[in-house]
Amino acid sequence: MKPPKQFDRPRFLRVYTALFFVFLFSPIALVVLFSFNSTKSLQNFDGFSLRWYQQFFESESYRGSLEASLEIALITMVVATVIGTLLAYGLVRARTRWSNGLNVLMLLPLVTPEIVAGASALLLFTQVGLQLSLTTIVLGHITFSISYVTVVVRARLAALGMEVEDAAMDLGATRLATFRLITLPALWPAILAAALLVFALSFDDFVLSFFTTGESPQPLPVRIWSAIRFGVTPTINAIGTFMLVVSVIVIGLAMGLPRLLGRRESGLGVLLGREAA
Amino acid sequence: MDRRELILAGAGLALAGCGVGDSGGGSKKATEKTIAKKIDGDLVYFNWSEYLDPAVIKGFEKRHGVKVRQSYFDSMPAMMSKLRAGIAYDVIFPTAEYAQRLIQGNQLRRIDRDKLKNADSVYPAFESPWYDKGSDHTTPYTMYATGLGYRADVIKGMTGSWRDLGDADPAGKAFLLDDFQEGIGMANQVNANPLNSADDDALGKAKDYLLELKPKLRGFSSDTITTMTSGNANIQHLWNGDIVNIRNQVDDPENYRFQKCKEGIPVGSDTFAIPVKAKHPGTALLFIEYLLEPEVAAQNVGWMGYPMPYKGAATESFASLVKDDPEINVTVADLDQGEQFENLGRDDRQAWDQVWTEVKAS
Amino acid sequence: MSQRRFAAAFLLPGGLWLALLFAVPLAILLAISFGTTDDLGNALYGWYPENYQRVFEPVFVPVLLRSVGFALATVVLCLAVSYPVAYYIAIFGGRWKSVLIALVVLPFFVNYLVRTYAWIAMLGDDGVVNGVLPGDGIRFLNTPWAVIGGLVYGYLVFMLLPVYAALDRMDPALIEAGKDLYGGPWQTFRNVTWPHTFQGVLAGTVLVFLPAVGDFVAAQLLGGPDEYMVGNLIQQQFFAAENWPFGAALTTVMMLFLLVWMVLYLRSAARETAAIA
Repeated sequence: MKPPKQFDRPRFLRVYTALFFVFLFSPIALVVLFSFNSTKSLQNFDGFSLRWYQQFFESESYRGSLEASLEIALITMVVATVIGTLLAYGLVRARTRWSNGLNVLMLLPLVTPEIVAGASALLLFTQVGLQLSLTTIVLGHITFSISYVTVVVRARLAALGMEVEDAAMDLGATRLATFRLITLPALWPAILAAALLVFALSFDDFVLSFFTTGESPQPLPVRIWSAIRFGVTPTINAIGTFMLVVSVIVIGLAMGLPRLLGRRESGLGVLLGREAA
Repeated sequence: MDRRELILAGAGLALAGCGVGDSGGGSKKATEKTIAKKIDGDLVYFNWSEYLDPAVIKGFEKRHGVKVRQSYFDSMPAMMSKLRAGIAYDVIFPTAEYAQRLIQGNQLRRIDRDKLKNADSVYPAFESPWYDKGSDHTTPYTMYATGLGYRADVIKGMTGSWRDLGDADPAGKAFLLDDFQEGIGMANQVNANPLNSADDDALGKAKDYLLELKPKLRGFSSDTITTMTSGNANIQHLWNGDIVNIRNQVDDPENYRFQKCKEGIPVGSDTFAIPVKAKHPGTALLFIEYLLEPEVAAQNVGWMGYPMPYKGAATESFASLVKDDPEINVTVADLDQGEQFENLGRDDRQAWDQVWTEVKAS
Repeated sequence: MSQRRFAAAFLLPGGLWLALLFAVPLAILLAISFGTTDDLGNALYGWYPENYQRVFEPVFVPVLLRSVGFALATVVLCLAVSYPVAYYIAIFGGRWKSVLIALVVLPFFVNYLVRTYAWIAMLGDDGVVNGVLPGDGIRFLNTPWAVIGGLVYGYLVFMLLPVYAALDRMDPALIEAGKDLYGGPWQTFRNVTWPHTFQGVLAGTVLVFLPAVGDFVAAQLLGGPDEYMVGNLIQQQFFAAENWPFGAALTTVMMLFLLVWMVLYLRSAARETAAIA
């Protein structure tokens, strides 16, 4: 049955949405287009060439930054997802007097401006005498990713309801077994979606990394910031396009994998907290 | 965290009289140990971005079979932040006044000039410079002058003065460097005060001039190359090397000119330095020596667009880069007549900071 | 497993991590905000509450107010721009919903800096847009609107997604009922749709407003000398002026201001959840 419409003629909305996408994508289109420019210009397209991609991949310094960013994002993804999932489950299912406070503590990073996060992280590491390095960047990223995981998983958890778990425990299963055999499989799409979200956010993060980066290699966005001072060359565009492609793959996985694994809900729906249809 | 770090954390949290990070007062003994000129590991390199030819770096890696691990800063205070955070860089590139600060704080290793081949081809003005008497801890990397870059095809009324920044472009597409030293220094020169004046009277006048200039500006930017090449700026406060780079990127380089101003030319230099915490000082020393070789220096100058103050191939390389517009060059005469930024003491620097912050916030 | 051990196992990793790596740095930040600097620019602890006095000096108050003003404008524009699109996708999207939402999210995975520089290329005086406009063109950049535009573009997705989620969750039967009750589409919207999506709008507002206040990249790259925001001021204190204590004081004041809004939001969200339960 077609959804009942509030406005019977959605033509205005359709045009509006189309214009919206034009607005949204025009800078992106520009970035991608000029990454293939055969000359240095960013205003006139003079022909197709892959030289900027070649420069990007041949440059040891950029390659090092790319590897660093990937490494950081991967480790952040794994650790933050584990901690965040545990936290989500604990917040929803456990009744302690700490829950309220923990809830607020968990939400705070989401609304803390990155500059505050970066400055305070830098202060902490300097105080403790911890050398700035990839480790410190990872530590910073994980801290700010946990909250995203918790929020996404918790929404899913709330939608799942406690009945099946209660039934399992009535039948004699321990909490841990229930969690492992009942809850975790049901949560899986949400966990996956959250993990991929964390990966994408970490890969693209600039401000936090800027404050906590140590000696080389610096993550890709920080590297771009230093280079961009000296004029934007199409190499930057090539890097931007490359990062876009990586993110597309990641989002594609986030949306497609749960479906592939036999769930009816796409990863995106899970991310948005929709109930399983 | 291991136990040592936990204890440090606890101590760190205790208030009263503790400093954040490295207090900066190193021991003199640690700095004076001679560096053996041999490879002792990979090089940890910390510099401005796009300020050294990557091909030159590759050449060094190939010749000595080591890797150069690069990271970049985008301002002197950012460099100091990272140094203070304890990162062990092997070679850094501080500006002259920051080099002096570091030397005074016993943060730089001694560099034996007689061990460095080609170090004696440096310009006489840098033999024993004000920031490093005896040239024991640094050797110059580049030198530069600050002036006004402008579009000769659009602006016709340049008078050779700093005031052109606010007055020469009727369309008002003017940018000031987003750098407190350069901004206040320029204001001092306009007011016929010495570049580094920090007394209340001079600073008051400087602030007045900047506030008067601000409405005529389109913005503050240190992304000088972007503003000029994108057409956002018709006139931009910048360094002479920037003009060289801008001209490389545009289709009509003859329209992008550089003006050194009659009220004064701030001349600066960047230096090579080896921090006291360096783990591979031998490699660092070899790296500096490599960069001073005539062919290498010439190639580097050609790539980055800034002059290196060494006689011979380096000077010729820059001269040929700017042969169409010798105004861009920094001559020995400029060095003698120009004013160099000094290392202000804490109170003076805070006074400068205060003025700049207030100008930006008003 | 007992209730307590269960709670501990799940809540401890997240709680401990956040406490050590998020709460403690904020405490250090607070401590430093009362400190001063030494000759070499290092920050020292001490008791100098005048740092806070300085935050409210007449020269800085406009910067604070401007940041709040820009952030508010950003919120309003984000809402105005994204609500119709969210509505269209949620109600009329059909089986293309997921794809459309993915398309909305996609641009945000191009590096923020690269995207902003693309805008500069597009809107610059010699840029693409001015290239097709007659006469001298319009000076887009280095204006307050450029900064707000940059902020809107940067944070749009944080408004669109919660609003979309709320719209998507709404039972279509409600709209049908509303039309029967209220007759016209606008009345239905005002009395049915809007109240039901209000929580989503509120969430979006928080997610946009809080980070926008502290943003420094947009103002630095797109703004003129009069668009100085508190984020730029803070960044300048940490990286140019080497005055960490003052920077910390500014940051603390900003955080406290934002916390007030966050608490109000949490209270409202809790009331809403209680009302539905």
